[in-house]
Amino acid sequence: MTSILEFIARLAVWLLLAPLLPGIINKVKAWVAGRRGPPVLQLYYDLARLWRKGVVLSTLASPGFIAGPAVAWVAVLAAAMLLPLGPLGASLSFRGDVILLIYLLALARFCTAWAALETGSAFEGMGAAREVSYAVLAEAAVITAVLTLSMQSGSLVLSAMLAPSAGTGAVLLAVGLFIVLLAENCRVPFDDPNTHLELTMIHEVMVLDHSGPPFAAVLHGAAMKLLLFSILLVQAVLPVGKLPAAAAAGALVAGVLGVTVGIGFVESLLARAAFRRVPLLLTTAFLLCLFALLVAWKGGAA
Amino acid sequence: MTTGAVLAAGACAIILSLIGAFRGPRCWLLALLASSLTALAAAGWVLATGNAWEWRSAFLIGGESVHLRLDGVSALFLALLAVVGGAGAAYSREYWAERAHPVSAQASRGWWSGLVLCFGLVLLCSNGLHFLIAWELFTVCAYFLIILDGQRRDVRAAGWLYLAASHAGTLALFAFFSLLAARTGSWDLGPMREHAELAPFFWLALFGFGVKAGIFPLHIWLPSAHANAPSHVSAILSGVAIKMGIYGIVRFSGWLPTPPSAGWVVVALGVVSAVLGVAFALGQHDLKRLLAYHSVENIGIILIGVGFAIVATAHGQAAWGALALAGGLLHVWNHGLFKALLFLGAGSVLHATGTREMSRLGGLWRAMPWTASLFALGAVAISGLPPLNGFVSEWLVYLGMFDALNQPGAAVVGAIPAIVLLAMTGALALACFVKVCGVVFLGAPRSPAAERAHECGPWMRGPMLMLAAGCVAIGLAPFVFWPALHTAVGAWRGTWTDVPAPESLTMLGLVHMALAVAAVIGAAWLWRRAHRGSLARALTWDCGYAAPSARMQYTAGSFAGIITEWFAWILQPERHEHRPEATFPRRADFEEHTPETVLERVIEPCARLVMWVSGVARRLQHGRTHAYILYLIFGLVAVAAMTMAWSE
Repeated sequence: MTSILEFIARLAVWLLLAPLLPGIINKVKAWVAGRRGPPVLQLYYDLARLWRKGVVLSTLASPGFIAGPAVAWVAVLAAAMLLPLGPLGASLSFRGDVILLIYLLALARFCTAWAALETGSAFEGMGAAREVSYAVLAEAAVITAVLTLSMQSGSLVLSAMLAPSAGTGAVLLAVGLFIVLLAENCRVPFDDPNTHLELTMIHEVMVLDHSGPPFAAVLHGAAMKLLLFSILLVQAVLPVGKLPAAAAAGALVAGVLGVTVGIGFVESLLARAAFRRVPLLLTTAFLLCLFALLVAWKGGAA
Repeated sequence: MTTGAVLAAGACAIILSLIGAFRGPRCWLLALLASSLTALAAAGWVLATGNAWEWRSAFLIGGESVHLRLDGVSALFLALLAVVGGAGAAYSREYWAERAHPVSAQASRGWWSGLVLCFGLVLLCSNGLHFLIAWELFTVCAYFLIILDGQRRDVRAAGWLYLAASHAGTLALFAFFSLLAARTGSWDLGPMREHAELAPFFWLALFGFGVKAGIFPLHIWLPSAHANAPSHVSAILSGVAIKMGIYGIVRFSGWLPTPPSAGWVVVALGVVSAVLGVAFALGQHDLKRLLAYHSVENIGIILIGVGFAIVATAHGQAAWGALALAGGLLHVWNHGLFKALLFLGAGSVLHATGTREMSRLGGLWRAMPWTASLFALGAVAISGLPPLNGFVSEWLVYLGMFDALNQPGAAVVGAIPAIVLLAMTGALALACFVKVCGVVFLGAPRSPAAERAHECGPWMRGPMLMLAAGCVAIGLAPFVFWPALHTAVGAWRGTWTDVPAPESLTMLGLVHMALAVAAVIGAAWLWRRAHRGSLARALTWDCGYAAPSARMQYTAGSFAGIITEWFAWILQPERHEHRPEATFPRRADFEEHTPETVLERVIEPCARLVMWVSGVARRLQHGRTHAYILYLIFGLVAVAAMTMAWSE
């Protein structure tokens, strides 16, 4: 009984807290620019409004156009449920769950790109092509980070891998994972979440033709993915699992807030990189994770 | 003993189908399906109980008594043969029907039965001589199936290339089995790991079987043969024929001692095949050629698993070796299932539109909802995404490699690049299959042929449904299939029988089930929600463009452009472009073609060199008798000179 209650509580945390992050980022950006900015809860209002709205479907779209965002949302949520939450641990953990988590995010990517191609639009095709192409490099960086953590902890269970700190290579890993976070969540310098009509986008351009409840699912899924990557990053770097429960929870919350504010500052201070630079930037992230791996490997022996 | 009786019944049925092929499609199909079911029963029994079956005849064939053996390894491949052979046969009833192909339909049935029979013999024969005979016969049967549509020039060229490449491999196998027989004094095969002097022969086997398996760079025959064969033949070629190469590698790396570096070489070949296979696939515009390159990729994934198992043997570490091998062997099944499904789906598209060119397709989901959804399922499975079967096998391989990483020893150095590149392969395959599904089935039709498409009939749909069900079953309940893998691993390495099932496999299956249920509920819920309010249909918004046309859609080439640019160093794409120039530009066009680099840039120049040398040498033979007498005199003088030089 308690486990079911705990499961529901955990689900609620993910579902209800995730849309907070984009709000905080926007607040930080507004503050840096000297504006008042939209309210922190803006995304909640948007989601509620979209959920009530009607839908306009492209004449070309198949049922997959609606199923795609739904499956992608479920996949991100499932990945989130695998991720341990500091002192709470994971609701489900088994050997190899980390690989499942990575591939669940890939499933979400497949579904989003599928839905983008439904409309036969050149823009959305372009966005989908960029998304799946750059994901190849991001995937390499993520799996290298996982290798580092696995080597550090000698384990292949997320809760055990994320408990200790990343050791000497923590800084390298943190920067590498942060770059991947920016790329995977369509933030500057990879993508500009503020624009909708430019040829220069990756992720945002894929959802141009979505509207109403399916678009709400897309936005909510994106917010959950951002929260997931932030929590993953914080737990990978900080020794959250080794602290007493209250301190761990505090560290986790503070860490996630720190990452969110950091994203806001990055977006305020950096311009979007030219597309030719994107692979370069992601390769840098991969190399940083690789160096962290080398540190974990050779440093661990010493 | 029951296994033997069941197999005998299966053999009778397949021979009946061989006769029935000339009587009519119905009795042929019935006999073939009966043989498939019996073979599946026998293989299932061996895999479930772990009791191998062995039989030696009293009579001799070619001076050797027939020695048949069905153990875990061969039963695993036999089960795959039964499923794909049966599905392809049922599919061909409509796809290659008597009415559309009055001449070749009968040939298709006959050679199909022959092919399935020879596959079965290869898997059962435990005698080098008989193995070679069956191997050669199946190569020939497959050749005649590939050239069923022999009026077309490229079909004949593909068949010829297949035959030539196969025989290069068979030549190595002749050497391998003869040397083996010469060293051991008998053609009989079986475990002989204690003869350390046999180890170098593994390289011959790796080459010979590698050609058939389509390991990069020995895969040259594979793309054109798979693309030009009729689709049910492509399905069995990709599903089973190339697996025979894997069977050979697995079989003889299990029975024979292997050189110390063998494991790493196999891993390296696997990684190269996986990454470059998918890179070449991304460059293709032909649907079936693209699927063929994905076979190279998946063979690579299988070889990574097998290679790590060989490494683990060398290090004496059963636990992770067994995991990697189980992953590799499960991927044999999985690839057989989803690749056959995808080829049959591609066949339905070809049947409905008459083209394999992706740039002429599009929007087929409306006319072909069954094909589109089943193809999509296959695409999710081959991209290795949960909750389907492709993920389960890749996950097992990952587990094996990660465990190798956390053991002290040299395995770490190899495991790191293998893991990273396997993850990248997964992402690349995902990119490629998003492209295929999007360009072929979604969006607007790009040609009149695509507009006039029609759904395939029940005989083509049924086998696809069955293969898809297999993909779902392995994905959702992988723990059910573990005993089979356990038997096969035990048959490969007798000392690895006590490796327990990974506990997390059950957990993974449960998560997969929950995920599938949640995805269906989520999609249904969103569907209901979207249809409750106002739902309007409008032109694709596309940032407000008022008159979109089908030609403005993203094409296969443009979709893959970013990635093919990264791999341009090996893909060597050929581009022809006329840019729009001047104030009133004339025609502008752009064309890009990815050649089979290894064949066109390496093998063909070598072949041309050989032809040139032969051409020069041929000038010596011109039919003038007095010149020949001169040669004779020169020859005699040379021999005399050599003899004198020798005696001094």
